[in-house]
Amino acid sequence: MTKHIKNPVVKLIIYAILILWGISVIYPLVWTVLDSVKDNQQFFFNAPWSLPKFPLLWDNFSYVWSKYNFSTYFMNSLIITVGSTLLAVLLSAMTAYVLARYKFRGSNLLFLLYISSMMVPFVLALIPLFFLMNSMGLINTKIGLIFVYTSSLLAFGVFILVGFFKSLPKELEEAAIVDGASYYGTFFKVMLPLSQPGLITLGIVNVLNIWNEYIVGTILINDPTQYTLPVEIGVMQAEMQYRTEWGPLFAALLITIVPILIVYIIFQRQIASGITAGAVK
Amino acid sequence: MNLGTAKWQRNVFIASFIIPTLVFFGIFTIYPVVKGLYYAFFDWSGMSEHKNFVGLDNFKDMFNDPIVWRAIGNDYFLVAGKIIGIMILATFFAVALTRFGFKLAGFFRSIFFIPNVISVVVVGVLWNFIYNPQIGFLNAFLSLFTKEKVTITWLGFPAHTIWMLLPPAIWAGIGFYMILLIAAIQSIPESYYEAANIEGAGEWHQFWKITVPLVWEQIKVSIINIMMTTLNGSFVIVWIMTEGGPDNSTQVMGSYLYQMAFRQFHFGYGAAIGFVIMVLSLITTIVLQRLMRHESVEMS
Amino acid sequence: MMNKKMAAVSIAALMAVSLVGCGGNNNAAPKEEVKEPVKEETATPTPTPTEPETAKLTGDFEIQYFVGGYGDKWWKKVIAEFQAANPDLKVKESGGPKINDQMKPRWIGGTPPDFVYIDGAGLNDRQMVEDDQLEDLTDWLKDAKNIDGDLITDILAQPAQQFDGKVYNIPLVLNSWGMFWNKALFKEKGWAEPTDFDSFLAVSEKIKADGITPFIHTGKYPYYINGSVLYPAIVSANNDDYSILQDMAANKVEAFESPAVLTALNKIVALRDKGFIDKASIQINHTDSQMLFLQNKDAFIPNGLWLPNEMSKDVPAGFEFGFIPSVTQSPGGKVVANTSTATVAIAKKAKNKDAAKAFLQFIFSKGQASQWAELSGAPSNIKGDISASNAPSHVKDAAKYLTDPNTVVIPTITYNADVDKAMMDATDALTISTITPEEWVKRVTDVVKKVSK
Repeated sequence: MTKHIKNPVVKLIIYAILILWGISVIYPLVWTVLDSVKDNQQFFFNAPWSLPKFPLLWDNFSYVWSKYNFSTYFMNSLIITVGSTLLAVLLSAMTAYVLARYKFRGSNLLFLLYISSMMVPFVLALIPLFFLMNSMGLINTKIGLIFVYTSSLLAFGVFILVGFFKSLPKELEEAAIVDGASYYGTFFKVMLPLSQPGLITLGIVNVLNIWNEYIVGTILINDPTQYTLPVEIGVMQAEMQYRTEWGPLFAALLITIVPILIVYIIFQRQIASGITAGAVK
Repeated sequence: MNLGTAKWQRNVFIASFIIPTLVFFGIFTIYPVVKGLYYAFFDWSGMSEHKNFVGLDNFKDMFNDPIVWRAIGNDYFLVAGKIIGIMILATFFAVALTRFGFKLAGFFRSIFFIPNVISVVVVGVLWNFIYNPQIGFLNAFLSLFTKEKVTITWLGFPAHTIWMLLPPAIWAGIGFYMILLIAAIQSIPESYYEAANIEGAGEWHQFWKITVPLVWEQIKVSIINIMMTTLNGSFVIVWIMTEGGPDNSTQVMGSYLYQMAFRQFHFGYGAAIGFVIMVLSLITTIVLQRLMRHESVEMS
Repeated sequence: MMNKKMAAVSIAALMAVSLVGCGGNNNAAPKEEVKEPVKEETATPTPTPTEPETAKLTGDFEIQYFVGGYGDKWWKKVIAEFQAANPDLKVKESGGPKINDQMKPRWIGGTPPDFVYIDGAGLNDRQMVEDDQLEDLTDWLKDAKNIDGDLITDILAQPAQQFDGKVYNIPLVLNSWGMFWNKALFKEKGWAEPTDFDSFLAVSEKIKADGITPFIHTGKYPYYINGSVLYPAIVSANNDDYSILQDMAANKVEAFESPAVLTALNKIVALRDKGFIDKASIQINHTDSQMLFLQNKDAFIPNGLWLPNEMSKDVPAGFEFGFIPSVTQSPGGKVVANTSTATVAIAKKAKNKDAAKAFLQFIFSKGQASQWAELSGAPSNIKGDISASNAPSHVKDAAKYLTDPNTVVIPTITYNADVDKAMMDATDALTISTITPEEWVKRVTDVVKKVSK
């Protein structure tokens, strides 16, 4: 299928670069893991990347899990992340498709509107957002957070997907119409599936953003039972900073990282196995 | 076909695909952001119930504030550095992990995304350690080659510390663009490459004549995205590593905004900075779009 | 990507904010103390109010308290006691490390809590006064008695700061900046503990000759070195008259241009030019600098009295904290203690001011002095004899300095946020030789002039 490098020297160099980079990215993860089972003294007095001494403090994890009710936060985060991502991907795709493939008055302006929202630091919008959500009674609600998060992902989604949609062949649409498909049909049955790699990529990035999102969460949710995982971790981090409990801090970080990593690994296969447009024909 | 109906159907379709998104967007993003920017015309501490309208005073102050100019310079330095660094590496990795059929490609694809997955705080803490003068990795590594222990304070240069913020920014940013390009490359039909092979075209040739044009949209998108997120988001890395110091030499607009709005109680001024970030981003986008104009090639 | 960066911004921002602790609070130090578990909670019995001062309190009462280095043990306890003493009152606790951010919209929207503990980044008492958010307590405080029947003003070790002659907040926690060293190390190496600037320089030379770096500080948070070295030095050079600092806080340019300021700055220059300052200082944060100090890589560190508590989990065996509030006085000169306090106040728009005032009377009682010291590891601003309590020894030592009539005790001074930042940036630049002391003064006075327009 794909080409193999003929020149062994080139192959070696490429491999070397890949491996070096691989080490540089795995290292912090390993470091986080190692440090999550250390105690404070080890953390600072030894080189931070040294191996932890036995006994490994696995109870850093249980300490973190039990003292802070992680199952609730996990569920909250899960619901909110999945909800926002699905809604955002769908809405972005719809708008991006139309902006990319159809000419109409105002389409450029609309695109510009979405893009320019990404150019403003969101911190400025926090206070007005709070008052808005308050007046709508959406403070401390999961649905409120979902709405806000979805909206925050739209601009980026449109931006990215327009690029994907633009590069799909025009003939596909024309063919679908000739076959009698409606506009909607064309979109849902033909264009959407073809842009799957793009959609999945967007989905992953969205999941990542929302899963880790924290500032908006802190401001819009002050009922601790409604906290999402990162908000709770933020509170923990702040507390632990003062108590300099590094081990549990890293354990907590690890607990947030692992689910996302797993999700990514599963889904990146989807991207990899991507649908080749030509093969469809 | 009655043109009236067809046009009507078309418009309804377009509207139905635009409006729901726009409604969400308008309420939960546009409205708060506009309101936030509106504060740029006020003198407001960010805490008090009262604000004074001051018109363009904040902007006038900004013009005369040398730190703002420094920050803008730093921002664009990071933008340029990141675009070059990220695009070269991300493209390289994307191509290497899709076109060359390495057995471990899937594995590498997975792990290269790790920096994007781990919280940026960890990235900052990690690189802080690397740069630590006493126990940091960089000095330890360099000391292997020197007689005396190297104790350079990497984040303490009076003027050039900003250079040190480039590596973590690039390192943490590549993963996303890599998978974007991978997705784009995956969409290129194999047949093109096969045809090129048959015609005897080499790897390099194939790269420039097939791959690049067909992923040009994504490259454009990536470059613009890097620019926008840097102007908006390099606050993170800067804040964790140096908080804009030493002595404001690594300030970027985002960090200065935060400092002003939330630490020095000049929210209006911070909002004005936000305004400027937006304007600069817009201008830069337009410039970049012009420079990168190249018809997006559709596959046929 | 933007949102990811945004999320990261958030995490980082809030982490950074917490890293600084109470950075924005009038040079108040980050109260990063370790909440000490069990050992400090024993002994001193809970103070019981002699009799409820006020009529039965009813309604709702909300308390906002930031949880930082002092922990929340004392708050939880004293609030529980207050609730028990006032069963008809619905007390709501809003406390946590992020509480200032979370409550901010309430203050902006005009529905703040009744009672607030002003500490942590994001709250600044001077700013709150300027924003007209705090209740004027000047008249009330004149006659206010605590639940033991004593006048509150009598038992305050440090009086409340005045803003234009008015009082809006009362100091609860009293802390002091100063210089720390490891007594055990000094004994072992035969180094003399410093008593004034000359002896400080002399012993630093010796330390340097012995291969250890004399002085480390955190360049990321220059208010440490300003609080422990610069401001006391200014006072010493100003004939022990601390009103110069108050003039600086009132944005009077002449104060900054006084020769005392230059003298003080030159003392820092002396440390720099003699190579006493650890070169790593400029880029590290307080925790890093403290760790190096604990590992005896550096001999002296400017810090606040929360230091031993904050680092208690990391203090190696045998380490003994030596402390003196200032080293910048001339031989024979007085020790200058630059205090930092954390205060409590009532919101101007509080709904239940009676309950808030009653709470003030409740917490400013003698018994709470010891209870605070034990549960938070820091000195209380309540004059109480804590020598019999289980407070940590460094707290008792500090209390000795603070009550010694020969010590010049500087009351809390909150500078304007912009001027404060300018002073911090300038000191940083001074320590790495990018500017001269004269330029320090010029930079800062430029900002002062701008701010006082």
